[in-house]
Amino acid sequence: MTERTIAVNYLARVEGEGALRVRIRDRTVEEVELRIFEPPRFFEAFLRGRHYTEAPDVTARICGICPVAYQMSACHALERALGIEVGGTLRELRRLLYCGEWIESHALHIYLLHAPDFLGYPDAIQLARDHPEAVQRGLALKKAGNAIMRMLGGREIHPINVRVGGFYRCPSRDEVADLRGEVVRALALAEETVRFVAGFEFPKVEEDYEFVALRHPEEYPLNEGRIESSTGVDIDPADFDGTFEEVQMPHSHALHSVHKGAGSYLVGPMARYALNHDRLSPRALRVAQEVGLEPVVRNPFRSVLVRAVEVVYACEEAVRIIDRYRPPERPWVEAPPIDHPTHGAAATEAPRGLLYHAYDVDPSGLLRTAHIVAPTAQNQKRIEDDLRHLVTRSLDLDTPALTFACERAIRNHDPCISCATHFLSVELVRE
Amino acid sequence: MHEEALLRDLRRKVRELAPAGGTVRIVRVRLWVGALAHVTPGSIRRRWPEVVADTSAAECQLEIDLSTDPSDPAAQRVRLVEMTADDGPGGVG
Repeated sequence: MTERTIAVNYLARVEGEGALRVRIRDRTVEEVELRIFEPPRFFEAFLRGRHYTEAPDVTARICGICPVAYQMSACHALERALGIEVGGTLRELRRLLYCGEWIESHALHIYLLHAPDFLGYPDAIQLARDHPEAVQRGLALKKAGNAIMRMLGGREIHPINVRVGGFYRCPSRDEVADLRGEVVRALALAEETVRFVAGFEFPKVEEDYEFVALRHPEEYPLNEGRIESSTGVDIDPADFDGTFEEVQMPHSHALHSVHKGAGSYLVGPMARYALNHDRLSPRALRVAQEVGLEPVVRNPFRSVLVRAVEVVYACEEAVRIIDRYRPPERPWVEAPPIDHPTHGAAATEAPRGLLYHAYDVDPSGLLRTAHIVAPTAQNQKRIEDDLRHLVTRSLDLDTPALTFACERAIRNHDPCISCATHFLSVELVRE
Repeated sequence: MHEEALLRDLRRKVRELAPAGGTVRIVRVRLWVGALAHVTPGSIRRRWPEVVADTSAAECQLEIDLSTDPSDPAAQRVRLVEMTADDGPGGVG
């Protein structure tokens, strides 16, 4: 046998992690399918048989940007199953941790993923050449969010200090107070961010969304509240499955969610703001009014402005919690022994929107079932609706221009897949 | 997602270089995996049969060099380094 070696030296490329298939017949858009290639991850399956205390740390691994959201939804659902209530300072610390995540996640999306679209740059690196002060502002905000998560969670990504019932360790008063200066500076940067993004040029588009978010009697929602919608849904999170359902689509690995009998809906900052703007903190409300942000935003491109207002809220709320903090007597609430199979469900507000968890726990504390509905999956069908309308309006664009327009439309909703700047391959079929 | 995209790209390249029914049979493929490529040799090996399916490399042996140098300019990349063809008895040299 004679062998011959062929030198190739080909560097594999990462691209096309999502694909959009559009079929047009006689200038009518007949089919829009957003395909996400992320392989199924089976988190719900491999939680089965594990002890309930593992759920917050296991589910945190679902996302590196919003691990706190997974920890919070897991904790609240399991605490409902166990019949324990976490209030007072521990509840405040959870809100503080969540504020840290909102700040870092929103700052990442506003400055590094979304702003380049509005200012005509392919990515944040190119944007930084001409607007270094803007990108530095974004990075300083992200750093402040990370500082909160590091202090309270032990580290910025996949924090390790959250447990069912509270925290493994609560910080001292000094540790919390040390954050104050950085968060106060971040609050000013957040207000500048709102004014900065208010200067963007927004395409004039309005969509008829059904907004779905938590609503709490007193607070802008993070951890708790009823699930409400702009069309009149008003349910306890435990009734999520009775009102919404997941549907398997052959073209995507992600499940689509629909409001039963009504169709697609939208979760995330636009939904939260539309249903809760009267619960914003004073400075967040003031800067929203200053830039003329309407109480209900239906233009998806203006979601960046809503996200910026939420960063102001998260900074202001973080300062409030820091100023009132006194270490609690115990870092966690002890769970009672389980003597019968039990079930718990809860939803919290991840940066990208409503995140629902439900668990069945057996008397030995092992999880029998786990059910997780992530915000991006809930929005996917609604994103396809946005894309269908966009393509209908843009039939005369060539494929590169249409691809960019579709990428922008998807990034409006900050789906997890938007981390890749150029991720979309568009297949345009004209019949 | 990341592995999926990389492997699909590698599959495109392998199909281009070693199409099914080609005159040469690929017996060995060498990959180089950068230290920061965010893929493991194990995950590549698991999916490799899909990469080479329906090509003349379908039964090839896969060799993977895993780099430990994070300062390499290609540290975040995966490189298809070389393919070895069996030219049969006598071969073509």
